[in-house]
Order: sequence, then structure tokens, then C-alpha cells
Amino acid sequence: MLTLELNGKQQIVPHGSAVTDLLSIIGSVDNNVAVVINDRIIRPDKRSTHQLQEGDRVEILIFAGGG
Amino acid sequence: MDYLQLGSYTFSSRLILGTGKFSNATVMLEAVRASGAQLVTVALRRFNREQLADDLFSPLRALPGITLMPNTSGASTAAEAVRAAQIARELSGSPFIKVEIHPNPQHLMPDPIETFEACRILAKEGFLVMPYIAADPVLAKRLEEVGCTSVMPLGSAIGSGQGLATAEMLNIIIRESNIPVIVDAGLRSPSEAALAMEMGCGAVLVNSAIAVSDNPPAMAGAFAGAVDAGRKAFKAGLMPKSSFAIATSPLTAFLGAKV
Repeated sequence: MLTLELNGKQQIVPHGSAVTDLLSIIGSVDNNVAVVINDRIIRPDKRSTHQLQEGDRVEILIFAGGG
Repeated sequence: MDYLQLGSYTFSSRLILGTGKFSNATVMLEAVRASGAQLVTVALRRFNREQLADDLFSPLRALPGITLMPNTSGASTAAEAVRAAQIARELSGSPFIKVEIHPNPQHLMPDPIETFEACRILAKEGFLVMPYIAADPVLAKRLEEVGCTSVMPLGSAIGSGQGLATAEMLNIIIRESNIPVIVDAGLRSPSEAALAMEMGCGAVLVNSAIAVSDNPPAMAGAFAGAVDAGRKAFKAGLMPKSSFAIATSPLTAFLGAKV
């Protein structure tokens, strides 16, 4: 298993998980979120091949209400 | 037609709507529809599986004719705002970014130095940069010079409902600007929006006044009408003010007058 930091909290995922696997584990819709790993934006077309690494800092962001 | 030109984008509506503070997404969407707004602000937030209803991207994307303008709220430095803008553009596909950097939650006044630096960088990166600023004519001009698409000075503090407390400074900014001036923040009533448009603002950005009213869709419609009326009045040209009465009816040849 891998331990990540997801939105500031610990998240465990299986070895070999790609970004798309993480998104499905947490129940988010792929094209409605921005994904930033270790300060790098991961575009939707790279998410199924980008493998997560131990200790990755992952931010998953949405658009919420704001003025 | 009288269009609002922002970069290569043209909008027939001059009411920009914020999406914060609504009781739920359904009411917000009804208000967007009723407002006729074509440019709508959103904020970046961390995904939370316990609060899936917070995600407004799908419902807003489903509305026809809506362009998103993400903001950088939460950023307290230029670097954070630039980062937020890059992430927001990735998600929205929209070149618009509302630069909003306010370090103090007590008054939410924008940091002019960090805002200027963020805008300078973002304009170079090809964003359509729309900074939320204090009503400072010097800063507004400097932001125009570094390539901002618009400046968005506050009428009064965010969410305060104090209206156009900065009217004198807004008049100077409008007079000096070659880019649209958009009053952002502080408006409470449609009449204030109409006044801002009569003064020559290119648009107004309204959020709290609509979102926290008893009937947000109805208030959105009221603001839309007021913005339209104010714009038409500005285009028609307001009559000059006079310290004296100037009669509208003839004062001579009244019945019984001696000639």
C-alpha cells in the first residue's frame, strides 16, 4: 500500500494506483476536478497513466460557490 | 447592440453574478437564469466526499451561454493567486480570472501590492485578468498598463451592503480608464446597481445582495432590470445638474396676464 497526503489528510491506496484509481476510490467525477500532485497539475489525459508514489502530496479541487 | 467587450469576448448582459452564499445549488441556478448573467464567478475548493453538492461545475456547465470566471479567493500572496489561476484555468477552460487577494478576513480589503504583482504575471500568461481592488485610481491605471482586461473596484466592503460608498473615487477611475470598470462588492439594492451604470461602469458584479435576499431569482431579475436601465440612461446622456430651477412650463402669457 501507498500512503499519500490527500487534501491535507492521510489517504492509503494500493501500490500501482493511477490518479484515476484514486479518483474512483474517493468517489469524484474525473472531469469535474483539478488534480495537483506535488505542485504539478495533472491533466485529464494523463491521469490514467500517472502512477502515484509514496508520500505524494495530492490536491483535488472543485469549483464551489464564490463571489 | 450595446455589448460589453472583455478581451475577445462580448456579452449582452452587464450583470455579473457571484455564486456564493446561496442556500442551495437549485436556487443559485434559478437566480443565474433570472439574472440573464453570462459571466459567473466560482471559487476553487478542496474536494470533500461528504459535501458533493458543493460542486457547481456540472450544473453551471449545463446552463447555455455561461462563461465561468473563477476567482483566487483564499490566496494571500501573488504567488498563491497565480497558482490558483493556473489550476482554475485548467479546470474551467476559461481565460477569465478574478484576482482576489485579501489577507485580512476582518475587512476583506484587497492587498494592492500582491494584486498588482499577480495581475502583471497573469496578463503575460494570457489570462483575461479582472482584479478586485480598492477604489484607487492610481492602482487602477497601473493595472490597466500591465494588461488587465478590466478593473473591479469595490463599492464598499464585501458583503456589507453599504452600496457605493466609494462613488467619488469610482468617478475618477471611470473617467481615467480605457478598460471597463466593474463595481464589485458592497451593492445592496438594484438602485445602487443602476446608479453605478449611470456613472459609466461597464458592468456590476453582484453576489450577496441576490443570494441572501428572501427570493434570490426575483432579486436577480430586479438587478438585471436596474443594470439595463442604468446603462440605457448612461448611453442616453443624463441632463446637467443646476443650482437653480429651470422651468419646464412657460411662465408667460398666463390667463389674465397683462401684455
